Amino acid sequence: MVDLTSRGIGGPITSQLVDLTPHLPVLPIVLPLAVAGFMLLLEERRRIFKAGLGAATMAALVLASFVLLNAVAGEADGVIVYRLGDWPAPFGIVLVVDRLAALMLMVTSLLGLASFLFAVSGWAIVSPRFHSLFLLLVMGINGAFLTGDLFNLYVFFEVLLAGSYGLLLHGSGRARVKAGLQYIAVNLGSSMLFLIGCGLIYAVTGTLNMVDIMRVAADLSTHDATLFRAGLAVLSVAFLTKAGVWPLSFWLPVAYPVATPPVSAMFVIMTKVGAYVLLRTVALASGVPETGVVEFLSPWLLYGGIATVVFGSMGLLASSHLPRIASYATLVTAGTLVAAVGTSDQRVISGALYYMIGSTLATGAAFLLAELITRLRPAEAPQAADAAVEPVFGDDYETSLQTDFEGYEVGIAIPAGTAMLGGAFVVAALVLAGLPPLSGFLGKFAIVSGVLSGGPELSWAAWVLAGVVLFSGLATLIALMRKGIDAFWRPGEETVAEVRSLEALPIGILLALCVALTLFAAPVVTYLDATGAYLANPVEYAKNVLEFGP
Amino acid sequence: MMELVTAVGIGVVAAAGVWLVLRPRTFQVILGMSLLTYAVNAFLLTMGGLRVGAPPVLESVVAPDPAEYVDPLPEGLVLTSIVISFSMTALYLVVLLTSRGLTGTDHVDGEESP
Amino acid sequence: MTVDAALLTALTVLPFLGSALSSSLHTRARTAAAALAGFVSVAGLSLVIALYPRVAGGEVFKHEIAWLPSLGLNLSLRLDGLSWLFALLITGIGALVVLYARYYMSAEDPVPRFFGLLQAFMGAMLLLVASGNLIQLVFAWELTSLFSFLLIGYWYHNANSRDGARMALLVTSLGGFCLLLGVIVLGGIAGSFDVDAVLAAAPVIRAHDRFVPALVLILVGTFSKSAQFPFHFWLPHAMAAPTPVSAYLHSATMVKAGVFLMILLWPVFSLSEVWYFGVSTVGLVTFLLGAFVAIFQNDLKGILAYSTISHLGLITLLLGLATPAALVAAVFHVLNHATFKAGLFMAAGIIDHETGTRDVRKLSGLFRAIPITGTLAIIATAAMAGVPLVNGFLSKEMFLTETLAVHSGTFLDRLLPALATLGSAFGVVYSVRFIHQVFFGPPATELPKEPHEPVAWMRLPIELLVLIVLAVGILPARVVGPLLGSAVRSVLGDATPAYSLALWHGFTPALQLSLLALAAGGTAYAVFRRYLADSPDEGPPWAGRLRARRVFDLALTGLVRGAAAGLRWLGTTRLQPQMLLLTLVALGAGLLPFALLAARGAGWLLPIGPVRTDPLEPAYLVVWVLGGAFALLTAYLAKFHRFAALITLAGTGLAMVLTFVWLSAPDLALTQLVVEVTTTVLLLLGLRWLPRPVPAIERTRQEQVRATARRLRDGVVAAVAGAGVALLAYAGMTLDPANRLRFDSLRSYFVENAYEGTGGRNVVNVLLVDFRAFDTLGEITVLGVVGLTVFALLRRFRPPRELLGGTRQQQRQAEFDRAAGGREVGDTATDFLYVARTAMHLMFPVLALFAVYLFMRGHDEPGGGFAAGVTMAIAFILQYMARGARWVEERLRVLPVRWIGSGLLLAVLTGAGAWLFGEPLLTSYYEYADIPFLGRLPVASAMLFDLGVFVLVVGATVLMLVALAHQSVRAPRTSAREDAEPVREEVEAE
Repeated sequence: MVDLTSRGIGGPITSQLVDLTPHLPVLPIVLPLAVAGFMLLLEERRRIFKAGLGAATMAALVLASFVLLNAVAGEADGVIVYRLGDWPAPFGIVLVVDRLAALMLMVTSLLGLASFLFAVSGWAIVSPRFHSLFLLLVMGINGAFLTGDLFNLYVFFEVLLAGSYGLLLHGSGRARVKAGLQYIAVNLGSSMLFLIGCGLIYAVTGTLNMVDIMRVAADLSTHDATLFRAGLAVLSVAFLTKAGVWPLSFWLPVAYPVATPPVSAMFVIMTKVGAYVLLRTVALASGVPETGVVEFLSPWLLYGGIATVVFGSMGLLASSHLPRIASYATLVTAGTLVAAVGTSDQRVISGALYYMIGSTLATGAAFLLAELITRLRPAEAPQAADAAVEPVFGDDYETSLQTDFEGYEVGIAIPAGTAMLGGAFVVAALVLAGLPPLSGFLGKFAIVSGVLSGGPELSWAAWVLAGVVLFSGLATLIALMRKGIDAFWRPGEETVAEVRSLEALPIGILLALCVALTLFAAPVVTYLDATGAYLANPVEYAKNVLEFGP
Repeated sequence: MMELVTAVGIGVVAAAGVWLVLRPRTFQVILGMSLLTYAVNAFLLTMGGLRVGAPPVLESVVAPDPAEYVDPLPEGLVLTSIVISFSMTALYLVVLLTSRGLTGTDHVDGEESP
Repeated sequence: MTVDAALLTALTVLPFLGSALSSSLHTRARTAAAALAGFVSVAGLSLVIALYPRVAGGEVFKHEIAWLPSLGLNLSLRLDGLSWLFALLITGIGALVVLYARYYMSAEDPVPRFFGLLQAFMGAMLLLVASGNLIQLVFAWELTSLFSFLLIGYWYHNANSRDGARMALLVTSLGGFCLLLGVIVLGGIAGSFDVDAVLAAAPVIRAHDRFVPALVLILVGTFSKSAQFPFHFWLPHAMAAPTPVSAYLHSATMVKAGVFLMILLWPVFSLSEVWYFGVSTVGLVTFLLGAFVAIFQNDLKGILAYSTISHLGLITLLLGLATPAALVAAVFHVLNHATFKAGLFMAAGIIDHETGTRDVRKLSGLFRAIPITGTLAIIATAAMAGVPLVNGFLSKEMFLTETLAVHSGTFLDRLLPALATLGSAFGVVYSVRFIHQVFFGPPATELPKEPHEPVAWMRLPIELLVLIVLAVGILPARVVGPLLGSAVRSVLGDATPAYSLALWHGFTPALQLSLLALAAGGTAYAVFRRYLADSPDEGPPWAGRLRARRVFDLALTGLVRGAAAGLRWLGTTRLQPQMLLLTLVALGAGLLPFALLAARGAGWLLPIGPVRTDPLEPAYLVVWVLGGAFALLTAYLAKFHRFAALITLAGTGLAMVLTFVWLSAPDLALTQLVVEVTTTVLLLLGLRWLPRPVPAIERTRQEQVRATARRLRDGVVAAVAGAGVALLAYAGMTLDPANRLRFDSLRSYFVENAYEGTGGRNVVNVLLVDFRAFDTLGEITVLGVVGLTVFALLRRFRPPRELLGGTRQQQRQAEFDRAAGGREVGDTATDFLYVARTAMHLMFPVLALFAVYLFMRGHDEPGGGFAAGVTMAIAFILQYMARGARWVEERLRVLPVRWIGSGLLLAVLTGAGAWLFGEPLLTSYYEYADIPFLGRLPVASAMLFDLGVFVLVVGATVLMLVALAHQSVRAPRTSAREDAEPVREEVEAE
């Protein structure tokens, strides 16, 4: 167990300086909360200060998650347990940082930093109190990743949902409010399911600590086990809704495209929260095979995930509006991740995690790019939603007979701004479509080879999964190529897009990360393989969480 | 018997809630949500059995006998969920009002269904 | 790393460096860009030549750079005779193309981008052929598709380029995905992605039952890349690319990638039936189809494109025959085709460049104008037609020899020589047409430009290529013998057959067939030239409108439309279906375990405990009956009698309060009560803004039926859902007592530690502010966030138009005031319920005090920060009711947003205070103290935390109420001034 909880430095208040290291695990929650609270005391017009403060906070979070990541990566299965109120589990609430949680924190804080920077470059001012709302959303997401207590998870789900409601409605307007009405209703429904499931599980196991739940669930009478599974199933429905798994995913393509770009970008991580929780559940259960939970859940996750990927691919094929494309890409990623969890094969899971990192960052970048790209064609205002599907290849080419020398033989020199946008678009597209030379290709390769290396007898589901994963890549390619050609190649009254550096920076950060993810794939993949291996049997995790007192 | 009554009662409230939640008018939906909240809170409280007349407020502070008191945990959970659902109801109310103001209708989709 | 390893690495890295450099050049720096590209390709060429000794003997030279060992992915460079030969083509022809392009591309073109892409492609292609790892090969494969896409679309402002590029990328990357899948399967069988390992595992692979899937998937990839039927159609459309690109990518190198892979894996695959029939058939069809269609093209590049398809088909066919000798012929033809076809493309480019058209119907008699280019073109064309003395003839003859050799004795096999000859004859026809129609006959009349010989530098590449064509044609053994030998040996090893590269093998049957083909072709052209000379549009006759690209478009459009339809069918954008789905799925999930249990024959209701027969207080029964009844009433009234529905809802709420009291949860009862009040008030405030409910007018009969059916369905769903919840609830309440032991561990812990640990008697409150204070922290955050959101939303609130000018009641009152003398408008409203309102007004201090009381006792008795906070908020509500929004807002000194902020800060800082003592967040500290008037009370840090809760709750709740109530102030004004004026800032922040 990694020793951050060592409380060596207790004693008199006179010791002025407080050592924060042992409290690092709780920082991703406390810091944004405190800063958000402080910002509320400031007047609305002190935007510059708030922007700076917020950016600093997000940067600090990046740093914190990096330290945590290194701390847990230090040993084979490093786990940090933080006892809130110094009450031992299962009586009090504990935060648990392991490889998986640390990874999610890292992705969240990076995406958050980028989105926040983009937001303060303009979008933050369209409604009051944006900065606080944003930080509180981040706090909720981090909490959901960190907590080891089922009901506390519910609370953090509500925090991040409340934050997402606020941010989705940020800027108000007809489209957003309409979407919000639906988004909120669906999520209120799933929250009720969460409580019901939570209640049943408590009724049977008499505890709320996730590890303890599984421990207790190991030896239950048929009677109790049935009830336990009923609770777990209802709970999973709530998780699947959050993860955007078909047929509980229809709210996503309604809500995400209409939010303000930085908000949509930040939302990309939220579906991952649902998938994360499912992965966590399965992982904890696989530590206690007697519960039979894995066998109970896995098939549903696998089929649901596959269905989601297919549905998302359809959406991709049918969309021409970039935010909408990005939304469906989010669905595809979520589906792939959930399906991977369903295979409960550690190679597939680690591959899916690698793929998830890249596509999360790239999707975020795509949401941010969408708005800038529309500036290329100010004449053609972006329509909020797709018109009916336009014919894929509109123009007529009866004559392939065309010479290079009839007037249009000269290529066009591309202005810098446009070139930058185009380059960024291509990078994002490559990652999302899983084409070389970027991380998407590696991720999909890792997933597919993991799926297909299942020994001589392969289930049809494995083939289907491999197929749809690659097919979704093709669908993404078609959608993005169509969009890209339409945005950058189709002749039209181009204007040189003006991109402010503060807008370019976050996109640059995200895409640079995608590239780095490819260049330094080795350490990342090693880390993820270790994660997969350790999730397959998280004994240490359980031991550390439940050990009483120091 | 108490259990039976409680369970059936919860079921009835929940059913009414579900029916309302499936209605097309925002006001119906928000009432449905409130009803569901009641049902779910009661559900949560009763998990692990009913206990009459044993409020978890210590009479003697020296070596209290746990058996004399009801399990406080569900109550804590329900308290939290009451607060959260209260805020959510308030939020949904305001959103539906805004939607009605912006779209001119009180249909849940912000437009009359075709 | 040895010198050669360094050279090999340099070979693959150099072009990418060049590409990066070139993209940094100024858009007008054409000479610099060309020079750079030229240098890179010449350097590459010399590196290739320098590496020859390592592969000359047919051995393999490898160099590995570790990258992703865990995924079995390393940067592994592998050079053998075969890949060396390809590398030679890539760099050699690359160099010539660069030189050619320098003069071909117009002066205004931003060529650095062009040359950059060209070099990047070169790098990708080299990486492909030098891959020692199949995944790396696929990786490079996709890269070539990508750069080909960008190069075809280089002149993206014209539609043909865009569509050609799009089509090429889609087809090739579709193949690419299949290839990836196939290679993964193959690697899975072989246990490694390393090329040599896979080759070594050939017997194992052939025996494996996943052999066929792997083979088929890989073949799809190679066919799509090498433009084999039915994937051939992208190649002609790729001709929209600048001619140098066509010469380089789409005749010499990229389209050979598929062939390369087939040759590379030939030893693994070729022994199987599937390979023999699949590959040879596809090759044959492509060979004939391409040659036949080429005859009818009117675009010079069109003719060359289809001819390329045909020749690739020929090579594929040879590989499909699966004999070593056929393989030799195939490799040889790859080499020859690359040389003469590249030359021909360049020649076509020159003609286009000089005359301004590529339409053979316009062109005629050019030989007088450009004799040198003409001669070169004629020689290259001779090679294409397979005329003796040029290289094309030799490989063509090998090909015919192979077709004559009996292999499987199948029908196809017997027919092969005839078909091969027929195909060659077609080849002769289009070659003759190409030459005759362009260079001979009367001088062309309507040419856009007056043709001249191009600058010598532009012609030089063709001259060199034609030189090779002749040299190989006349002295094959001397010129290419060794290269071909090492290439073939690297594939076949000891199985390398004896073959003779010579011009004259005697008057063999193959030679006879060649001559036959030449004669037949010549005659055919003589007969049909009139018809061909003015054939209306390209494409063979009686092929009619059937074009592969139409099929492709239809397929793609179909795919997209299908997807859209599927989306509509499998998805929805409306809320109601989603809520229904959510309910059903949850129901299914909740009952699934029961069903599974029943399936095991254990009976449905096993998890339900026995009905306890403990005495039931009638009052309790009444409470629940009323609660249920009120709930149903609410459901019934909600649509048309909203106010009544609110009352009944509150009724259910009260039933809950009583239940809580009954079930020994005083805290809950208290909280539920205050929340109930607040919620009701909020809803009441909201009611005013809803439209008057209109009874749904179902116009037609069946609309009524549908509506009824819908209600019925929802009714059933609701009933079942309710039953499900009841079932689970009952099951949860009646668990067998054995479980209690486990609970006691937690309950005892809380009860026992409540006082010692935290100094509180009210265990629930202790739970909230201490044991599980973290939940509370999150909970108040939610409340705060919601408060902020509400505030943000209502600032922009636009009241519905028909409600401007107040409610009917307000209007009526105003009417009355105007009518009656001596009354101000609004007096009636002021007088309304005067006594009650005064009473409410006086309640403020009382409630405030009560709130403080609740807060103070919270730790020991039911109460606490939240209840206190809401009570405080209620005090404010009453003032709103009593005096109206304006009056309160003028006097209100609460700054809600700041209260929210302070509450959050107070709570979180109290929690973090523990850090000073080196304790984890929210560790509490307490002391008992005598406080005047209040007696001995615990002063716990938890209490400070609770204070934070209190402050925040007051802030948030008041904020919501203010924001809502404020609308009534705004609406009338809004009717006057259209723009909605935001909530006065001082309500939010001074």
